[in-house]
Amino acid sequence: MAAFQQSVWALVLWPSLLTASTMLGCRDDGSFSRSTSISQEKLLERVIHHAELIYRVSEESCTLFEEMFIPFPMHLQTNQAAYTCITKTLPIPSSRSEIQQISDKWLLHSVLMLVQSWIEPLINLQTTLDRYDNAPEMLINKTKWVSEKLISLEQGVMVLIKKMLEEGMLTTDYNDEDVFQHGAQPEMMDSVMRDYNLLSCFTKDAHKMEAFLKLLKYRQTDKYNCA
Amino acid sequence: MAPTSSLLLRVVISSLVSTPGWTLLSDWTQTSSSAPLEPHFTDCVSREQETFRCWWSPGIFQNLSSPGDLRVFYLKKESLSSEWKECPEYIHSNRECFFDRNHTAIWITYCMQLRSQNTRYINEDDCFTVENIVRPDPPVSLNWTLLNVSPSGLSYDVVVIWTPPPSADVRVGWMRIEYEVQYREINTTNWEALEVQPYTKQTIYGLHVGKEYEVHIRCKMQGFSKYGDFSDSIFIQVTDIVTEEPLMFILVLVLGIVGVLILIMLIAITQQHRLMMILLPPVPAPKIKGIDSELLKKGKLDDLNFFLNGGGFGGLPPYAPEFYHDEPWVEFIEVEAEDRDGGGKDDSLTSDTQMLLGLTQTGCHHINLGCSNALGFPNNNLGQTSCYDPAVLEANSLMLMGSLLPGQPEEEEEEEKEAASFNDIKRCPTSAESDENKHNPVQPTWINTDFYAQVSNVMPSGGVVLSPGQHVRTQESSSTTEEETRKKENIIETEEKKQTKLLVVNPEGNGYTVENIRSPPPSTSVSPTEYQTVEPSPMSRSHGNQSANIVPDPPRCQIFTPVADYTVVQELDSHRSLILQPPPPPPPPQQSLPSCVPLKVPIGYITPDLLGSLSP
Repeated sequence: MAAFQQSVWALVLWPSLLTASTMLGCRDDGSFSRSTSISQEKLLERVIHHAELIYRVSEESCTLFEEMFIPFPMHLQTNQAAYTCITKTLPIPSSRSEIQQISDKWLLHSVLMLVQSWIEPLINLQTTLDRYDNAPEMLINKTKWVSEKLISLEQGVMVLIKKMLEEGMLTTDYNDEDVFQHGAQPEMMDSVMRDYNLLSCFTKDAHKMEAFLKLLKYRQTDKYNCA
Repeated sequence: MAPTSSLLLRVVISSLVSTPGWTLLSDWTQTSSSAPLEPHFTDCVSREQETFRCWWSPGIFQNLSSPGDLRVFYLKKESLSSEWKECPEYIHSNRECFFDRNHTAIWITYCMQLRSQNTRYINEDDCFTVENIVRPDPPVSLNWTLLNVSPSGLSYDVVVIWTPPPSADVRVGWMRIEYEVQYREINTTNWEALEVQPYTKQTIYGLHVGKEYEVHIRCKMQGFSKYGDFSDSIFIQVTDIVTEEPLMFILVLVLGIVGVLILIMLIAITQQHRLMMILLPPVPAPKIKGIDSELLKKGKLDDLNFFLNGGGFGGLPPYAPEFYHDEPWVEFIEVEAEDRDGGGKDDSLTSDTQMLLGLTQTGCHHINLGCSNALGFPNNNLGQTSCYDPAVLEANSLMLMGSLLPGQPEEEEEEEKEAASFNDIKRCPTSAESDENKHNPVQPTWINTDFYAQVSNVMPSGGVVLSPGQHVRTQESSSTTEEETRKKENIIETEEKKQTKLLVVNPEGNGYTVENIRSPPPSTSVSPTEYQTVEPSPMSRSHGNQSANIVPDPPRCQIFTPVADYTVVQELDSHRSLILQPPPPPPPPQQSLPSCVPLKVPIGYITPDLLGSLSP
């Protein structure tokens, strides 16, 4: 009986193996009211933790992909010019001073926009990775995990917006826009390079999300000391 | 529009061309670049992800080395319509361009360019994003504490602690920093690098006492690959920390021993016997497990019999005296029961012997003392000489064994008791034996053995000859228990049944059978004279009779070569060494005699008290 219980636990906890915490995710759209029983600070903590993990895993996936499929001269570090991740639409703060100048609302919306703009491309990336001949299992698992966690991150941020900013639920219309632009020469890249670019840009944006959320938290907790 | 298109074109060209080497910003070890001769950027570094600097070099164009000859331009790829801008802050002494917080953007690609008067030195790979060029400052306030020392005192573990670099805003979380601790022994060249981890403390295991170690730490951002510089080193040395502790320990030990010695001497001086007994208890003499020596002393025969017969815990293996009544070839020793009632001093020893051998208590027990042998037993302290007889000797051995039981240092009285009982044994009439023999049905099974059975000879067939004259105990405890309670005797012997029993062990079988050679008993009711194969135990019955035993001689009086398995201890000489009795010569065969010449029966044991009695 104990073994059965343990196996059940293992199955239950399998999706969270890569994460230390799970989002208080309310997957259903209609159940947001019920799920807002968590305190704002705790929710923010969880959101930040989620973002940290997403960034870490995406960075690992990018490195893995880079090692497997990309020749050294084309690595991101060595050939930055070729890769640009340009996001249109809303201007996202890009320096610490900028971040500190913009409001909480704007920070949160920036994060939400980023998250929502990446959900679809990541799902597409998963399908393309499945078509690879020798994609390592770990890479596929990681990207799958990231896309899942991104969805729960989106929900968490939406709840946070609702709590913090007391706004209603925003319709997520960011997905429809072609927010993301892979460099300037998509037609020049084969699929491998395109995927690499996608992963590296996502890694960068994950880092952004993490930084935004952390600064937001710092601002929340240290309202009086924050420079 | 034109700059935009030129930018686009530039980007397209850069993507098409895959040139090797370059990189301003990757590790220099990985580059296979040709050293650029033209002015170029040597490095761009950010310390805290909020500002960054770039350094350039004029290359071989020394005419451009003066300040102002080369100008730095950068492009911030925020949008498609970005423009090249000049360096916001020059530090010409260092050939450095500093970008402050207002000009530093994260997650956005910067491209750097050097321009002289009329030339643009473009290296397309001088592009980076600021978070990728972050090399955090080293940690500060390094310190170490001793964690523990190995029991041998030769190695120890330390914990190194530090604080994050002040320039890195770790508290807010703007930078997540990981640390790599490296250490080495002083004056060696190889650094030991420990695993990168994000906490501000690290344990170093297995440092050696007496050696000095150098430790330094460097940082990098989590998720990025560039390390900052190493911190200043700290030095760890532990010199022989073990000396203090053992000193105290030794001191305490010495004091304790001295105190105990003084106490013992005081007690010895004051002669407090009670305390002496506690501190220096007397050496215990051998005891037989399960037998209370007090019982023997008090002559509680019944209880002792009970113990001996296995009723108590850990008693001796039970005997089956009733097995032997019909087997005159089994030699037993009987102890006279009447003597038990007389003289209290006899009680203990006769009961000793009886208990030891499981002699019956009802009726008279005899010890076969056929004194046909003329060999006297020059026994000074046993009082009277007795016949040197196997039975006698065996009785003597029984005496000796019996005297083992009390287990206490014996006194003179005991020895006399032994002698008395020894003599008493002789006088027991034989008439009662027959009665006993009739009383006790014999179940021909295994015969009693003594405690040990010494192998005296090995037959050519493989059978093993055990020492004769020793009683074989049965292994059937179940049947014995009834007998025990009924008769309370383990060994019965008739005077006439003086045949010695030869125990032949068949090595082929699982058990062993007994070949009994007996001389015809003069007057016994049961006296089978043929060979009798005795099954050793019910268990081995299934294995069939092993009849491959050698029958040495016809079942008449046999003369066996005396086997020198034991020797009689005659006396002790002055040096406390034992003087052994030489084995007696074999007596001439006397078929007419009712009793054959039995083999010499060795004395089994000698007790400390007898030993004392033997001393001159």
